Amino acid sequence: MAGVSLSKIVKRFGAIEVVHGIDLDVAEQEFVVLVGPSGCGKSTTLRMVAGLEEISDGELTIDGRYMNRVAPKDRDVAMVFQNYALYPHLNVAENMAFGLRIRRVPNAEIKQIIADTAEILGLTNYLDRRPADLSGGQRQRVAMGRAIVRHPKVFLFDEPLSNLDAKLRTQMRAEIKRLHKRLGATSIYVTHDQVEAMTLADRIVVMNDGSIEQIGTPMELFNNPVNTFVAGFLGSPPMNQITGKVTETGAQVGDTVIQLDRDLGGLAGRDVVVGIRPEHVSLQPGEGTTPLPISLDLVEPLGSEALLHARFGDDNLVFKTDTNGQIEHLSGIDTVHVPASLVTLFDAESGRTLRAGG
Amino acid sequence: MRKLSLAAAILAATALHAPAYADGHLQIVEGDPLELTIQMNHARYPVYKEDWPVEQQAREWTNIHLVDVTVGANMTSDSENTGRTEALNLMLASGNIPDIVGSSRIKDFVNQYGPEGAFMPLNDLIEEHAPNLKAFFDEKPHIRSALTAADGNMYYIPYLPDGKYGRAYWIRTDWLDKLGLDVPETVDEYEAVLRAFKTQDPNGNGEADEVPFFARQWPEFIRLVTLWDGRSSGSDTYHDFMVVDGELQHPYAGEGYRDGISNLARWYAEGLVDTEVFTRGSSARDFLLSENLGGSTHDWFASTSGYNRLSSEIDGFAFKAFAPPASVSGKRIEEHRRIPIKPDGWAIGGFNKHPVETIKYFDFWFTEEGRRLANFGVEGMHYDMVDGKAIFKQEFLDAGPVNRSLYQVGSQLQGRGYFQDYNYEIQWSNEFALEGIALYDEGDYLIDQFLGVAFNPEEQKVYDKYWGSVRDYMLERQQAWILGSADVMAEWDDYQAQLEKLGLSQVLEVMQSAYNRQYSN
Amino acid sequence: MAPRNTRWTRAVDHLKREWQIYLMLLPTIVWFIVFLYKPMYGLQIAFKDYSIFRGVANSPWVGLEHFETLFSNDQFFRAVYNTIQISALNLLFGFPAPIILALMFNEILHATYKKTAQTIVYLPHFISSVIIAGIVITAFSPTAGIVNTLLGWLGIDPIYFLTKPEWFRPIFVGTGIWQEAGFGSIVFLAAIAGVNPSLYESAVVDGANRWQMMWRITIPCILPTILIMLIIRIGNIMEVSFELVILLYQPATYSTADVVNTWVYRQGLQSGQYDLAAAAGLFNAVVAFVLVMAANSLSRRFSRTSLW
Repeated sequence: MAGVSLSKIVKRFGAIEVVHGIDLDVAEQEFVVLVGPSGCGKSTTLRMVAGLEEISDGELTIDGRYMNRVAPKDRDVAMVFQNYALYPHLNVAENMAFGLRIRRVPNAEIKQIIADTAEILGLTNYLDRRPADLSGGQRQRVAMGRAIVRHPKVFLFDEPLSNLDAKLRTQMRAEIKRLHKRLGATSIYVTHDQVEAMTLADRIVVMNDGSIEQIGTPMELFNNPVNTFVAGFLGSPPMNQITGKVTETGAQVGDTVIQLDRDLGGLAGRDVVVGIRPEHVSLQPGEGTTPLPISLDLVEPLGSEALLHARFGDDNLVFKTDTNGQIEHLSGIDTVHVPASLVTLFDAESGRTLRAGG
Repeated sequence: MRKLSLAAAILAATALHAPAYADGHLQIVEGDPLELTIQMNHARYPVYKEDWPVEQQAREWTNIHLVDVTVGANMTSDSENTGRTEALNLMLASGNIPDIVGSSRIKDFVNQYGPEGAFMPLNDLIEEHAPNLKAFFDEKPHIRSALTAADGNMYYIPYLPDGKYGRAYWIRTDWLDKLGLDVPETVDEYEAVLRAFKTQDPNGNGEADEVPFFARQWPEFIRLVTLWDGRSSGSDTYHDFMVVDGELQHPYAGEGYRDGISNLARWYAEGLVDTEVFTRGSSARDFLLSENLGGSTHDWFASTSGYNRLSSEIDGFAFKAFAPPASVSGKRIEEHRRIPIKPDGWAIGGFNKHPVETIKYFDFWFTEEGRRLANFGVEGMHYDMVDGKAIFKQEFLDAGPVNRSLYQVGSQLQGRGYFQDYNYEIQWSNEFALEGIALYDEGDYLIDQFLGVAFNPEEQKVYDKYWGSVRDYMLERQQAWILGSADVMAEWDDYQAQLEKLGLSQVLEVMQSAYNRQYSN
Repeated sequence: MAPRNTRWTRAVDHLKREWQIYLMLLPTIVWFIVFLYKPMYGLQIAFKDYSIFRGVANSPWVGLEHFETLFSNDQFFRAVYNTIQISALNLLFGFPAPIILALMFNEILHATYKKTAQTIVYLPHFISSVIIAGIVITAFSPTAGIVNTLLGWLGIDPIYFLTKPEWFRPIFVGTGIWQEAGFGSIVFLAAIAGVNPSLYESAVVDGANRWQMMWRITIPCILPTILIMLIIRIGNIMEVSFELVILLYQPATYSTADVVNTWVYRQGLQSGQYDLAAAAGLFNAVVAFVLVMAANSLSRRFSRTSLW
């Protein structure tokens, strides 16, 4: 049972509180991603778990043990850093062996572990090289190797891919996922990249301004964001948000009343934000769709898909559509069709999601 | 002309003010004043000032105006006889040699660069145009010899100190009285007195913290070898050669020196000499006397006598000169004296367009008026004539150290060639100094001094090659013996052999040949 | 016409575009020419019978005469030996001192305490050698010095340190360390500040203690700086702080204290033998050059760090 449990964790730097009482339970073998914009407290939270930052208030347990005052080395965690934190004067094998040597693991054993780990990471041919002679992806692998050799109960990742270029990042992302499947260790992963969060996480924790906004599986968060922040943070491009008003029949934006499949009886007259995901609209009318007149600014072809940048009143909207290999027909578009079932409504004042009947 | 001079002399005897000499008998050029450039340097007055009253007076009388073009400065005095002449080197390196160059330590400099053309030989100029200088040198041929360079020429006019006495033995006579001892007359008595100072607590503080013998310059301690018939230097500079019956020798190679060092080492070990004599430095006298610790030293008359002012703070304090104690063979020697000729003075630059006027200007300072001007400052301003003698004005004597005041008006400048008049100093020497000088005058303690030689280039080369090593070795052994890390008696033969190996005899040989050339006539 | 012309135009274009950078370079170039390259012209006096009056160009050549004078003099060799001995001691004790000091400062967490301690150890650097010598002479004085007072408490008789040849080197090297170790630590502190902090965090998570972090991270990471400083230091091996020696030595301690520069000072400059001094200077420079070349190539071979 190597779960990690955070209970009412608070972090203060002097008089400034940067993490406001977080509750989070990470189950054994679970891969949890903390995501949020810079400065939201996600890295600080991770560092508190690692023991690199003192916990100001609240309680941290790992594997059921109270950890607040336990030294980092005794928490049985391993951490992968954003800039890899490789020792420039040591070669790959020595870098990976560092933690083991500190723990006075016998040499023969170290050798075996390094060889095995290098095999897993595809680093066998690079063991004699210094970090300066490695590519970014290789360095990242060494950094992970250094964590893996320790066989820790918990892996902590602090934005490990943000120094890599886009292509490598995709590749490494997959590798991390594969590794996690293979090793099955409890992992907490911090990133500001929602794509990484979506692809890697068993559960995502969206943080903002020192608090947790929502916890859930990627699809839960995607489909049922609790507020405009989560809705806007996950998904690429993010959800379109148009201010409007609830009417007897639907949600009015501009002159258009968007039909909804919910009973909004009690909410009529309320100011709302209407959330429409870019990929949820269609160019052809269908059953239960509402036509939304737009003025098209720009078509961005992405290959199999295209992004339509459009204006609706004062709002800039982005829609995503299949191209079927052609984009010429897209330039004349002046209407998109919004399906009633896929519209999300948020309270204009609080930003919270309005449920049917709520 | 003659009548005018007579008139001037009458005026001089009666008038109080300088313009009395306005008759012009000292005038060198007529009409517009002649401007000559000058470089003058000395540690005591690092800059030459055209507006010194003495210079103004000289301008008026001679109608020659000196223009200051000094470069660099000799900021440190050269008490260790190292021959440092930074400012002169700088001047020469800059390529401009002024019409007149005056400096401390100029002798070796002009003797080296004069023959190369940097400075003018003065012999013929003096012969033809400088009656006062000629008369002076005719009267003192040994001075002329001492000035002569290896090529037979004379390249500078020196500063010629007057008076005989420099340093003397000093002792706390109040301590002697307290312990019921007499002033020591022999080396044995001196030793006994020093021992009494050490052991009988003359300062009465209950501790044996007295320092019986101390010195501001440690070579003064070495000079005590004269008490065992040794010698420490042949001139007023430390570690210098000496002449014995026309033969050049080095004092540190003599047997009297050996015996002296052996005994001084014993003194040192016994605590009769300041333990820190080698490192205490120039503040030794000031510190040890004012702390009521120092008992005896060997130092200058004028400055040391001044410490009797401490009697206002230390009850009964009396620090008086005493005659040199008799050595083991009964000789009483004061090795240090004022040397009659200094290596300081001035020279005529090799590119000077007015050598005749310049030598006449140099000659002016050897006239009666010029010499007085150089010694006492300006009449009416700094001194008055009383019964035919220059007497400093009281307010001038009261205005702080007289030597410094004189430098500040442009008088007593050693960068100028002039003949000092000891009367200038008597007027402000304190009673203790005068008493001491009178004491030294009673006996005949002074000995002849070695006035130095001028090498030709070959001799210079030999000297440069060997002398440094020899001197270093001598000093090194000297301190080792005194400090007790080696025994002079045991080492003496090795020491002699090593001196030979390092080239002492080659050095003596070139000194001898230079000496013979210079002083034979 | 084409190739040369285009290269020329390209150079002009380049200069037009980047002239500010070249302007900034200019003072350094001028400094080098005026103070380092032009004086090299004067080195020839080491082979001449130099007279200031005749000047460098007009003084007659004498070949290797001055070097013969040097090499035929036992005291010169003693001075060379003493120079190397003092420098070696300096290297052995004086070189690690600022590194150790920097490592110690790095371990101080209390900011005010750290700043105060640093200021105190930097101070001696700004005191002139004359004052330093005065302090040393006083401290080691046999009658009033603090050192002998302390020894007195231990029942040891006073020692007149400054006249004992065997004590000169320890005192001199110790004084040098006291004076310069603090200031010298600045460059190593800067190097330590340049070490990536996540290396330490990573090590903390891996379980390293402070001692292990110092040995396994800090020192290896500043090793290039250490090596560069070492090479520079080796290049200055013939340059023993000459003023301080002059101020502290005595004829009694010549046997251990007399270094090449002081020997030259006594032999050469005092009697205006600039040519001999130049020859000794040239000898020093050649020795230093050989040592630097050797140290640099060794360093390059074994640690990939080198001055050039």
